[in-house]
Amino acid sequence: MLIIDGSVGEGGGQILRTSLALSLITGTPFRMTGIRAGRSKPGLLRQHLAAVNAAVAVGHADVAGNEPSSRELEFRPTALAAGDHTFAVGTAGSATLVLQTVLPALLHASGTSRLVLEGGTHNPFAPPYDFIAGAFVPLLRRIGADIEVDLTRPGFYPAGGGRITASITGGGRLAPLVLEERGTLLRTSAEALYAQVPANVAVREVDLFAGTMGWDRAACRPKRIDDSRGPGNALVATVASANVTEVFVGFGEKGLRVERVVEGVVTEVTRYLAANVPVFEHLADQLLLPLALGPGGVFRTVAPSLHFRTQVDVMKKFIDADVTVEDEGEDRARVTVRGVDVSTR
Amino acid sequence: MARKKLVVLGLLGPSLDAGVARNRWERWRPSIALFQHEALVIDRFELLHEKKFDDLANVVAGDIAHVSPETVVRQTQVSFGDAWDFEQVYGALHDFARSYTFNTDAEDYLVHITTGTHVAQICMFLLCEARYFPARLVQTSPPKRADGGASARGAAGSYALIDLDLSKYDRLASRFRKEQERGQSFLKSGIDTRNAAFNGLIEQVEHVALASRAPVLLTGPTGAGKSHLARKIFELKKTRRKVAGDFAEVNCATLRGDAAMSALFGHVKGAFTGAIGERAGLLRKADGGVLFLDEIGELGLDEQAMLLHAVEEKAFYPVGSDREVKSDFQLIAGTNRDLGASVAKGTFREDLLARINLWTYRLPGLRDRREDIAPNLDFEIAKATASLGVNVTMSKDARERFLTFANASSSTWSGNFRDLNAAVTRMATLATGGRITASVVDDETARLARAWAAITATSGGVGAASDSEGALASVMNEAARAELDRFDRVQLADVVAVCARARSLSDAGRELFAASRRKKASVNDADRLRKYLARFGLAFEELTASASSSR
Repeated sequence: MLIIDGSVGEGGGQILRTSLALSLITGTPFRMTGIRAGRSKPGLLRQHLAAVNAAVAVGHADVAGNEPSSRELEFRPTALAAGDHTFAVGTAGSATLVLQTVLPALLHASGTSRLVLEGGTHNPFAPPYDFIAGAFVPLLRRIGADIEVDLTRPGFYPAGGGRITASITGGGRLAPLVLEERGTLLRTSAEALYAQVPANVAVREVDLFAGTMGWDRAACRPKRIDDSRGPGNALVATVASANVTEVFVGFGEKGLRVERVVEGVVTEVTRYLAANVPVFEHLADQLLLPLALGPGGVFRTVAPSLHFRTQVDVMKKFIDADVTVEDEGEDRARVTVRGVDVSTR
Repeated sequence: MARKKLVVLGLLGPSLDAGVARNRWERWRPSIALFQHEALVIDRFELLHEKKFDDLANVVAGDIAHVSPETVVRQTQVSFGDAWDFEQVYGALHDFARSYTFNTDAEDYLVHITTGTHVAQICMFLLCEARYFPARLVQTSPPKRADGGASARGAAGSYALIDLDLSKYDRLASRFRKEQERGQSFLKSGIDTRNAAFNGLIEQVEHVALASRAPVLLTGPTGAGKSHLARKIFELKKTRRKVAGDFAEVNCATLRGDAAMSALFGHVKGAFTGAIGERAGLLRKADGGVLFLDEIGELGLDEQAMLLHAVEEKAFYPVGSDREVKSDFQLIAGTNRDLGASVAKGTFREDLLARINLWTYRLPGLRDRREDIAPNLDFEIAKATASLGVNVTMSKDARERFLTFANASSSTWSGNFRDLNAAVTRMATLATGGRITASVVDDETARLARAWAAITATSGGVGAASDSEGALASVMNEAARAELDRFDRVQLADVVAVCARARSLSDAGRELFAASRRKKASVNDADRLRKYLARFGLAFEELTASASSSR
């Protein structure tokens, strides 16, 4: 059995989710030790359990140690199959992280899976729905993946209560991704989502953001969310280019000044535009796994994050992955992923 | 999955959990926050609330369902009337606890005590401590605002689990263990006794002394230290603030007639001839304290009846008075008699025995705990040093001689600790310059041996006869004993006693027929003993078995 040290690298949920995704597809059982060692609350947290339980359902897996605070997990998938599932995640857990765990596997399994993902859709420290729907899914669709996502109701931290539906038809052949240049800049826009918070918060956000970036104020709008369970606020910036659309999100929080929220998004967008690459950090993290387990491809991105490197390390334990990162300097890197054919199991 | 389900029982907080408007999420609400912790998966929440807070309870339940889809919320209505009235709140929560089905094999329980009135919190605490709720407590607190603003991650605040089972806390457990050891050591007067049975007994006495006000019965041979232990129990209770009153003691063998009644229960002026003034009596003196009645078997039947009434009702009539007097004391009784036999003979009230026979401890005689002779010897020497004002010491040689004698099986120590105390007092007094020498020891051991031999000779009638009753009572019923001639009874009692402590039939045979063994080259003692026992319908195995179970 494959032993994975859960304390290395990023050492958090990322290793776990990556391992689960890889195990589901390859059928390789694994045991993870030292889960979140050295943290103030070590072991599995609720959001991790949600990912594990989702993977168990999708892969009909035998599992041991899937308990709160457990430092060790054993996961043994028996049969990967498409199917319909509802996964609910508790307050701090993001529904999109659950999707991230099972998506690569469901792209492999023949047939259509319909997922209902409940919980947080707009959480800090997790890919928000707008990013998934606006940046990640369109790229997957471009290389041939049959996947649709829809937001039934947003769920902001801490109330949660959001719902995403996803329909994934797997088993089809995907084409390699080639995304080396961004292409002509087509459109920049921003939306300040606000639910149950004063509208002027959102207005100040878009004003400040548009002003700082020098973007057209007409393309930057507040957007009131009426069907949220609890209060929430997010600033979503979109950069659409000829070859790719990138999405950047910052979260407002009670007690956090509007300037800080805007500043965070401005920093990311500015870095992306300056690097003149098509793929930003978070999108690179998300693309790595589907490409490595499928058709492979090549893309340019900013200097890879620790998340990225951790994923590569974990991948090498499961598959004969070949990921090369050529540092081109000035916050640019060229990533080449050789796909591994694991479709015939 | 082997994990036990985690169930939280909690009261709705009408003010802390309040909020039905949309801005409620901006506030910290304990009943919601508890379900927002990343490391805490709660399977069920029993939300208790009053009917008037139905709407709020529904909102809270709905919000929990969103932040914690893993949790099933069950709402239960409770009726306090006045949520600040201790009696009403405790009653309502007690009713709930009694009616709730706790399945501790499959579920772990937490009682959330952050919400509700302070009275309700206290009631929850008490019900947990009394194990009506077999639960740990969980206390939640709002997020800290150290960095100027609440961070989203910290919005749940923090929680602490409190287990009221103090033995689960290592440092507290060792603290209590030390306290216990101090208590036990105190009961033993600081003597480092080695006899396991005796130490076990003291361990129990320490526990009972501090936990109970019920009567205690100390049995055992004269001089085994009953009176001493009774006083020590009182002193221990006094230092731990378990009693406020005094210690009163009397040897019932010294009480006779009208004087007995009045010594115990007091009398009013003119109650009888010579009752010139009023007398409070020992029971009143012991009010709020401890009354030690030594040789309780010697108490007259009238006094026994009065005593039983006093113990049960905490009140009695002084002699000549028609007004009841109250006295709440703890009774410690001492006896060297078999009170069961006294009941059979009609000299002791069965109901009184039943009353005082709750915590019964048999203090072993010195010969049954010879390993404790050495530490007691040191203790007596130290005592003698204090009372004589001379540093009493014992030469190594003298000490060895004394202990060899003391440990010999021929040393019966019939007066037990009284003998040891007297021996040391005599030796210390006779020792020149406080130095006890081998020759002082030799004189003393000779004196002790003579004294014991005299007792054995004279008690052949009285002492042995009553002893034999006890020994035989454990192996034969009364009817069978009545069939025996006195001639056989005494002999059989001794045989039974030897068998009871023997390891095997042959062992007992060797001891019983020791003299004839020396004369003959070979004898089958075991067979001879078996045949003897068979004449009375007894078997060796029964005798040892009954002996070990009665210990």
